[in-house]
Amino acid sequence: MRKSKTDLNSLLFVLPAIIMFSIFTIYPFVKTFQLSVYKWDGISPVMQFVGVKNYKEILFNDTLFWRAMLNAAIITFLALTLQNLVALVLAIIIDRGVKFDKFFRTVYFIPPILSGVVVGLVWKWIYDGNYGILNTVLSFIGLKEYTTSWLSNPKTALFSVAVVHMWKGFGWGFVILLAGLQTIPRELYESAAIDGADAFKQFVHITAPLMMPIFFIVSILTILGTMQIFDLVYSMTRGGPAGTTEVPITYIYKYLANNELGYSTAMAVIFGLVLFSLSIVQIVISRKVKKT
Amino acid sequence: MKKIFILICFSVLFFSCSSKKEKKEIVVWHWMTDREEVFNKLAEKYYEKTGIKIRFETYAPSDVYREKVRAAAQGKLLPDIYSPLGDLRELASFIKAGYIEDLTPYMEEGWKNIFFENILKQNYYDKDNEWGVKQGYYGVPIDVVSIEIFYNKSLFKKAGVDPNKPPETFDEFISVCRKLRSAGIQPFVSGFGEEWLINVFSQSFEWQILGKEGIVKTIKGEIKYTDPRWIKVFELFEKMRDEKIFAEGIITMINKDAERLFATEKVAMALNGSWGINVYKGMNPNLTYGVFLPPRIKDAKYPVKIWGSSSFLNVNPLSPYKKEAVEFLKWLTDDKQQIVLTKETHNIPSNKNVVNSIEDENLKNFASNIDKIFPSLPVLEHWKVVSLKCRGLQSIILRQKTAKQLAEELQKLKEEVLKEEKCL
Repeated sequence: MRKSKTDLNSLLFVLPAIIMFSIFTIYPFVKTFQLSVYKWDGISPVMQFVGVKNYKEILFNDTLFWRAMLNAAIITFLALTLQNLVALVLAIIIDRGVKFDKFFRTVYFIPPILSGVVVGLVWKWIYDGNYGILNTVLSFIGLKEYTTSWLSNPKTALFSVAVVHMWKGFGWGFVILLAGLQTIPRELYESAAIDGADAFKQFVHITAPLMMPIFFIVSILTILGTMQIFDLVYSMTRGGPAGTTEVPITYIYKYLANNELGYSTAMAVIFGLVLFSLSIVQIVISRKVKKT
Repeated sequence: MKKIFILICFSVLFFSCSSKKEKKEIVVWHWMTDREEVFNKLAEKYYEKTGIKIRFETYAPSDVYREKVRAAAQGKLLPDIYSPLGDLRELASFIKAGYIEDLTPYMEEGWKNIFFENILKQNYYDKDNEWGVKQGYYGVPIDVVSIEIFYNKSLFKKAGVDPNKPPETFDEFISVCRKLRSAGIQPFVSGFGEEWLINVFSQSFEWQILGKEGIVKTIKGEIKYTDPRWIKVFELFEKMRDEKIFAEGIITMINKDAERLFATEKVAMALNGSWGINVYKGMNPNLTYGVFLPPRIKDAKYPVKIWGSSSFLNVNPLSPYKKEAVEFLKWLTDDKQQIVLTKETHNIPSNKNVVNSIEDENLKNFASNIDKIFPSLPVLEHWKVVSLKCRGLQSIILRQKTAKQLAEELQKLKEEVLKEEKCL
């Protein structure tokens, strides 16, 4: 009797959190699934049930959606490799102790905290084919033949957006990796150095194995963050030129803006499932690596 | 004791709320940031005249406004006056859901006679319209905007082109562009990164080559996109691309950037709306420019038409001040207030009786061409087809597609859309 009263009291304490979580997380989640099987413009009092038609259309016919996924995957691959490599190198340099390390730590963390739209607009000016700084610099150093309209040229547009995304995102990886590096006991490096291990060997045999869990966290965050890229693309190219930089969220947004709520939520569900599957795969791999 | 205290508190709260004298206040949601100041001035005037308070609330940019209106509609929280900012198809959803008042009885009292007919018809539903909306007028136009081509007189002069004789035909247009290019000047710019502007440019050719009948038949599926007339429209873009008329980066450019390029004299011509007059005045007051209609195509069967629209406001039928809201809109579109709006905002008035109050020469030109605005169509093309057309035109400019390829892709999608519509 006393125990059940205690349980009830505990439940009362967590009830506000449960209510908030249900309203703002569970309900929208369920509603998204519900909407995805309807055709609805968001205003009409009547919603038309279409079953799995939206899903079939997306999975088997909507090549533009899968092209948008591929574009996001390309940016994600670049972020996973180049962005995190830069972040790791900088974290190692700062961890080894350089002058003004606090200053660099702050500077590297500025891009991630800036607004994506602002960053997009600034870089749009840098890349501009008419008065952009990048072309001006290239011309000044004698590389005029490489000047182009970076965001309007289908050959360079996606890579240009990826560069900005990496510039904006490497600070997160840097901070997490640096925190991980600082947990490795210094004595391990000292002993290794006494045993004759050079910097590369120290990295391979000490840093890399001990940092493995951190690498997985950073890579999961990079994948989830990059696949959901939106603000940069929208402010720089709006998915253009001719869909070259379209990513899933800009594509979903386009359908939402055209009042196709059912179809866009179905895309959101599929996209969510893809991200969920990727995360599961990564977690499984990380556990296996840990065991070995 | 505690209970009595709580009871007293609630009673005080209840009576203090209910005893408050009810004041009439009409809330207007709009997106027109450039008209904010003058709207507030007019609201003050209206309050002095009638004792009814008008509260203008601005939500910008327009896509944010659209989202706000849609969210409010779902919660039945729409203000007294607003606009869903959409085409006839979207407006129909709001009407059928009971969120927009039928203004026909008020319009038929003579109110409609003050407006440009083709503009007022943009929020009008014909009998037997495809959306099943009751025939009538549903919106009040506040002012008019249309799109033509602005040209820089100094740059024309520099290229050896008579600044007082802008091109009229497509061939003349191309020849002017060639002269500008050879003088090292970029000929033409617009915000083609925003799909609707490349569509507007294309539509000005579509109306000349296919006419209203041809366009409606295409939408209904009776004329194919692979028809030679459609291919001719797309080939015009190939021609313009080959003649290098487009400014660097036009494909991803938003209109604000295009306006900046024209205002800073980096490009000689710009496809832009009548609002550009105000924008260019702000960006470069010394700019000397004129405006001309989109070029006429040789052998085109139909006259030149331009895109035009109005800032419509609609009345919420669920509003307790529905009648007062209509009265306010009547007052706002009256001669006196329309003159104030025209003078302060440099837009074309929706009230045709006060068109003579326009002072700016270029705005006068825009106003004189209101009769050339595309009339509203009884059917609308599916947005996916329009979007594919716009992206396809971008691809033509980028040399990724030919006119024929685009026509075939469009026809394929059109058939799918028609099939889907039949199934539903």
